[in-house]
Amino acid sequence: MAHVARVEPQPAATGTTLVVMVGLGVAFLLFMAFLNVVKSGHLLNESNLLYATLIFYSGAATLYLAFGITGLPAYVRYASLATWAGLLANTGAIAHRWYEAGHPPFSSIYEMLLMFVWTLAVLTLIAEKKFGVKVIGTVTMPVAIVGVVLMQLLRTEVHPLVPALQSTWLHVHVTLAMLAYAACALSFALAMMFLIQDKMKTETFLAATSLFTVATYLGVLTRFEKWGGLSVIAWNPEEKSEVFLSRGVRLFVVIPDLGWLLVLVLAAVAAPLVLYLIWRKTQDDGFLTMANRAVFLSILLQVLALVFFVWRARSGLYGSLDAEGLFPTNLSASPFILSGIVGGIFVSLLYLLLLWRREDLERMLPSADELDRITYKTIAIAFPLLTLMIAAGAYWANRTWGSYWSWDPKETWAAITWLVYAGYLHMRITRGWRGRRAAYFAILGFAVVMFTFFGVTYLLPGLHAYA
Amino acid sequence: MGTTVHSLARKIWQTLAAIKTGVILLILVVIISAAGTVILQRPATDADEMQRAYSPQVLRLLDGLGLTDVFHAWWFVLLLTLVSFSIIAASIQRFPNAWRYFSRPYKSPDETFRKALPGHVLIPIQDEEAALSVAERVFKKAGFGPERIVHPSSFSLFGERHRFSEMAVYIVHASLLLIFLGGIVDALYGWRGFLTLSRGQQSSQVESQNGSKRALPFAVRCDGAGQENYADGSPKRWWSDLAVVKNEQVVLRKQIVVNDPLVYRGVRFYQASYGKTGKVDRLLLTATPRDGQGAKDITVGLGETLPLDADTTVRLAEFIPDYVVRDGQVYARSNDLENPAAHLVVESRKSGQAVNFWLPPIEGIEQNASSPYAFEGKDVQMAYFTGLEVSHEPGQWSVWAGVIVMGFGLALVFYFVHARVWAVPVRDARGQRMLWIGGTANKNKDVFEQRFQKLVEQIKSELKISPEAGVEAPIAALAGK
Repeated sequence: MAHVARVEPQPAATGTTLVVMVGLGVAFLLFMAFLNVVKSGHLLNESNLLYATLIFYSGAATLYLAFGITGLPAYVRYASLATWAGLLANTGAIAHRWYEAGHPPFSSIYEMLLMFVWTLAVLTLIAEKKFGVKVIGTVTMPVAIVGVVLMQLLRTEVHPLVPALQSTWLHVHVTLAMLAYAACALSFALAMMFLIQDKMKTETFLAATSLFTVATYLGVLTRFEKWGGLSVIAWNPEEKSEVFLSRGVRLFVVIPDLGWLLVLVLAAVAAPLVLYLIWRKTQDDGFLTMANRAVFLSILLQVLALVFFVWRARSGLYGSLDAEGLFPTNLSASPFILSGIVGGIFVSLLYLLLLWRREDLERMLPSADELDRITYKTIAIAFPLLTLMIAAGAYWANRTWGSYWSWDPKETWAAITWLVYAGYLHMRITRGWRGRRAAYFAILGFAVVMFTFFGVTYLLPGLHAYA
Repeated sequence: MGTTVHSLARKIWQTLAAIKTGVILLILVVIISAAGTVILQRPATDADEMQRAYSPQVLRLLDGLGLTDVFHAWWFVLLLTLVSFSIIAASIQRFPNAWRYFSRPYKSPDETFRKALPGHVLIPIQDEEAALSVAERVFKKAGFGPERIVHPSSFSLFGERHRFSEMAVYIVHASLLLIFLGGIVDALYGWRGFLTLSRGQQSSQVESQNGSKRALPFAVRCDGAGQENYADGSPKRWWSDLAVVKNEQVVLRKQIVVNDPLVYRGVRFYQASYGKTGKVDRLLLTATPRDGQGAKDITVGLGETLPLDADTTVRLAEFIPDYVVRDGQVYARSNDLENPAAHLVVESRKSGQAVNFWLPPIEGIEQNASSPYAFEGKDVQMAYFTGLEVSHEPGQWSVWAGVIVMGFGLALVFYFVHARVWAVPVRDARGQRMLWIGGTANKNKDVFEQRFQKLVEQIKSELKISPEAGVEAPIAALAGK
């Protein structure tokens, strides 16, 4: 999945050449896919639609990236055309799944990713057409591609809903959550762009991205076991579910040696950070050059980690520390480790893009003031959505568990997210916070959102076992 | 003395109302609640698991500090109360200003205001009356509802939209207090409990989490319960037919499922669990007399006695769903219907003789050979229990009201802009007649700026003034929010 984001079109190439090349690429892939489809006989099933989504989004991402680098407006026109086409296929995939399952697709990580990718594409088009932030697709479309690829790896079977999930309010809750989180993600991307336009030093971005990847690998390595193994959740292939030892207690299996590899990658992603700190101390620019090379090296190692993780955790029988015998596992059982590794690669690539093409990016982006305003507006959309999301969740909990608020970790963290954004709004409105401080606040808000979405499920115990 | 008390109270009030206090309190709430999600909490985590997770010293320390039940600790409740007071104090302190702004709109701008306002233009005019009429028409068309403000020698225009949005933030704060109020009421007067019923059973005793019993002024009876599965065997639906019984009369009936509770007098019954009791509900048998003539099917419940003929009766004395025999005794291994055994007692009234019939025959204790009837098991229906979560939350209506009000409030805060426009005829330094047009908005200033410019263009075009004419003040200063 990394290869798509790493496409590096030559800025020297004229606009038409690349558009024609991407167009031919998309057409070729569609043609090949069509041949396969004709052979199998099913034209409009979900996996075909999803494949079409992937092809169009990839085309869109390539063109957006090309726009980000060259700044030729022709790219954007074709990029949004490709996004529209991908969105159409994506909508089709959602509709097909809805029809097949008989309920709106919100009940598993897979289905939520399907919705998330869709929301992301819609918001990209809105940001582009309404607010004129044309370069946004450079960030959002690669994320959408990662989402679609993750979906291919996760389970796709239509799974019947357990009784607690059979509620309209759940659908309302999850839809609002996806919309709110997508809006938060957008405000985060805008805040980052603001920092670029606000002349924040490239080195600071180096420190931030390294810190993110180090934190990700530290998080993953909380599963490091004795003798260099890495524990992942066991997977029952017949029931297509995680294996539980008892209520709420998951069974972990240990993949041998993978832990050591991840420790190595941790060292590789920590190296730029260490070099950056040495540079801060000595002010010797040689260390900075080394740090940037270390980022490049760390990306190679991260890709290696991804390949090995996918290879080992995709299938296979492994021993457990808690039970006798060998148990199977599956990538579906470790969505968070997978997204962590993919996220690390993506963030490091974005840093390289900034490092190499900063001037072009600055020319492309709207002015700092404009970005600051749009960030605020996005949060002004996200905050009411967050509020309604929490309210719908509380109402659902009240109908299902008899209590609208039980302080379970997910609820508590949703409330914390809400408070952080409420803090942002108060600081902005009553204290007139603008610019950098506001941007940091928006970034903090999104970090808390990510923790609520991934961290709580992955690290903390609670009732929200479904998501 | 009196003054010191007074000044102390004032100081406390001002500290509470300060935004800094509010921020510090909120940061504390965030840190403590985050800690509450990381540290295992009672009673959600049971005592054994707590002891496994923490060493005795650490556990004693955590318990002593109340960190194992953060969200119900007195100091957390105190903190939330302080947050509420801070919101109230801050709102009250800022309210008079906002109210003045709201209730007494500034309609005729003086010279200082006219000069200081970032968004204004001056356009040269010939006739005051005509120019103001044009401005009035344009303002009206744009939805500003202009009114004429009459001065001793002339008049000016004032128009505005969505003035109520100035009050929106108080609506949001009030809604938050409503939600808090509901939470406090529930913390004080609400309760939760559990009730387990099997078919036909009736109870008015609810067991709370700490094991104590609570008596309800009515009873609940279970008339049936069941589970439906998907084709793959995973549960699709659990249901219970419940009846509320008061003074021996059924006052309410409802089939509840997960997500759809029964509500009676503010007490709600939720489908929470469903499972096997390990007891038999009905056992279907074929009874054949010794002579082999006139076999018949009978259905018998546990402890029930049935006549087989004029002289003989049969009673189901025991039913073991999953039996093992050890040292000549029968034991139950589990509650699952794996390896069932039934103990029937066949009695003859004439002889007064009772025979133990075991199905299947268990060596050592069965007397099947001397029974006047032979029995054969045909079917068994096990008894199931339904687990009901019971809760009483009188404060929830305040919470839902707060949520709805907050939805409205936030919509007003974010999407309704209080915009004001003025048009005042003035004379410039050379004595030339000019029309001063000014406008301002309390948020989304960039959007308003464009709108304002459009209004000015319209007025100019209707007055047949070329767009270049007029002295425009730098409007860029408007852009901010």
